[in-house]
Amino acid sequence: MLHEGGSDEFHRRPDPSADDVATPRVLTILSYVLEKLVARNDQLLLLGRQVGHDNELMSNGAGGPRRVLGKNFNAFHGVRAPNISIPKYLERLYKYTNCSPSCFVVGYVYIDRLGHKYPDSLLVSLNVHRLLVTSVMVASKMLDDAHYNNAFYARVGGVSNAELNKLELELLFLLDFGVNMSARVFESYCQYLEREMLSNGPTLKIEKSAINSITTSTVDDATEISVEDIDHTSSPSQLLD
Amino acid sequence: MAIAAPEQLNLTEAPTWGSRTVDCFEKLEQIGEGTYGQVYMAKEIRTGEIVALKKIRMDNEREGFPITAIREIKILKKLHHENVIDLKEIVTSPGREKDDQGRPDGNKYKGGIYMVFEYMDHDLTGLADRPGMRFSVPQIKCYMRQLLTGLHYCHVNQVLHRDIKGSNLLIDNKGNLKLADFGLARSFSNDHNANLTNRVITLWYRPPELLLGTTKYGPAVDMWSVGCIFAELLHGKPIFPGKDEPEQLNKIFELCGSPDEVNWPGVSKIPWYNNFKPSRPLKRRLREVFRHFDRHALELLDKMLTLDPSQRISAKDALDAEYFWTDPLPCDPKSLPTYEASHEFQTKKKRQQQRQHEEAAKRQKLHHQQQHGRLPPVQQSGQGHGQMRPGPNPPMHASHPQAAGGPSHHYAKPHGPPAGPGRYLAGGNPSGGYGHPTRGQGGAYGSGRYPPQGRGTQYSSGGMPGGSGPRGVGGPNYPHGAPYGSSGTGRGSNVNRNQQQYNWQQ
Repeated sequence: MLHEGGSDEFHRRPDPSADDVATPRVLTILSYVLEKLVARNDQLLLLGRQVGHDNELMSNGAGGPRRVLGKNFNAFHGVRAPNISIPKYLERLYKYTNCSPSCFVVGYVYIDRLGHKYPDSLLVSLNVHRLLVTSVMVASKMLDDAHYNNAFYARVGGVSNAELNKLELELLFLLDFGVNMSARVFESYCQYLEREMLSNGPTLKIEKSAINSITTSTVDDATEISVEDIDHTSSPSQLLD
Repeated sequence: MAIAAPEQLNLTEAPTWGSRTVDCFEKLEQIGEGTYGQVYMAKEIRTGEIVALKKIRMDNEREGFPITAIREIKILKKLHHENVIDLKEIVTSPGREKDDQGRPDGNKYKGGIYMVFEYMDHDLTGLADRPGMRFSVPQIKCYMRQLLTGLHYCHVNQVLHRDIKGSNLLIDNKGNLKLADFGLARSFSNDHNANLTNRVITLWYRPPELLLGTTKYGPAVDMWSVGCIFAELLHGKPIFPGKDEPEQLNKIFELCGSPDEVNWPGVSKIPWYNNFKPSRPLKRRLREVFRHFDRHALELLDKMLTLDPSQRISAKDALDAEYFWTDPLPCDPKSLPTYEASHEFQTKKKRQQQRQHEEAAKRQKLHHQQQHGRLPPVQQSGQGHGQMRPGPNPPMHASHPQAAGGPSHHYAKPHGPPAGPGRYLAGGNPSGGYGHPTRGQGGAYGSGRYPPQGRGTQYSSGGMPGGSGPRGVGGPNYPHGAPYGSSGTGRGSNVNRNQQQYNWQQ
């Protein structure tokens, strides 16, 4: 249970010196929730494009994809979807940035708040990575007494320092600087995520031992890893198999 | 007393911040500059309202948006009270740059981000440091009550200020006092179980529990600072002007007695207690040293400067103290004298002159007695408003000589060490040190008297036992600059250094 024993699981990191660095369950759950959402929204977008296209064909009017997709997340849009999957991207963020697992929950809350605030802007495969790295970073700045700077997050996330700085401001202004979170809200999101997990059957039971023996190496030397190329770097997932 | 219950705030949402640009304001004059950046007095064009515009410095690309600014904004966003500075909005400045095709740069943040505050004329330290300034008893009661009211509001809303000091208490010409500079502030939970950094609060106002290294603390830390300010107002000069942590603790113990398990149960378990406990027990001398204070004032001060934080008086109880309910009563803020507006922004040249002054004064090694020339209030009671305009420099004296009187303005607080890279652990305060010799000379310009917050780091670097190491984000490297300047790089200018030490490069 996610909330068993309070939300400690979200707060506590395993001892980083231990060889067994297991992916916290919250990452698995988040990956699942986000992948589901992104798949649905990608589908919606596709549908919207078709509808827009059809409208255009039929009425020769000013239809188009913009009708479905608002502009608010434009800064977070990549040209094409990065190759790295959401679970692997989250694992990568977790492994290198050393942030507490609760940052992922809070980062998710930020993204969720954006969704409520700008209902016509969708979380899709083109923007999910940038939204994730930015919101987790801001969450870490809020929560963690020790945290890495933007430059580091940029390298882990595969975007440039300058771009991440810009995205950070975008996120803060989109949120209207509403980065506060009460313990109660945090708990309710934990419970929500837990329910999401439970309602989707036992197939998603997490094998906690899956990610053993990850060496906590430093980030690759390659600067300015583009998100597209991130798969070629030694992301933790490659050590799994 | 306006007190809002927690969770009952912000029922109305302000318009989206960042939707307007700085062009909505006409900059009137620069009223402050330090390492934290520039502060302008400005007029909102549409309404004509005078505001203070504080530019958030973002020149450290690696750090991104300054964490102090994020925290200050998020906290001020939820605090709305007449004794807390009002952050009106955040505006952006698109910058003037154009791209290759001559189109305006698409980056709407390029020109910077400004915090828009209500405009305040003075700060308490600057005001008090005016030569000849002598606050009356009703005036002190009035300021203290506003300070406690604002702080109580913060505390019931689960916010610790963590940097209460005179220069962060802004005063307008209507006699209103407001808490400012929330760059060090944070939310707390009532159970006090969270581990918080102990490297907060400017040294002279830092409570013994933080100096002893505790990481579990609550609103009582702010109340100690209030006690220090209270005593300072009554005494006429700072009561604990320590130059480093050990000396700070010694000064506290000399006045308040040494802590032991009797007067402070559990003190021996605080991390650095054994390193700092005095070799021989010291008697509490507070009531003796300040025996000339008014009886009720002394009683309240005694409760504020209680060593054991759990026995220290809360803001709420302090407001109920006899002191505020006996003659002379606190005066109405509106009845307070107004003082000459003091935002004369000094040119660089002037500041340089001031610095040279400071240097010269430092070389002369002035004594504290010469430095703290502020007059204590007249202690007799019952005189009330008769004392309102004492001293050789009556308020509103138009010919107030600038050089001698000195602007009392918080904006004008100068210069920490020059901003620059480097880990804060390495840094003291190259320019200021503890030279307070300017006190009393130049009003608020003499801000060098404030011990640089960076001192605390010596513990972590020096391997203090049980310390949480140099990881505390709220650490000493928070800027302790002018109130509006909190979110930049601050007087300490070392906020960025803090994070750099976790830098992967290092």
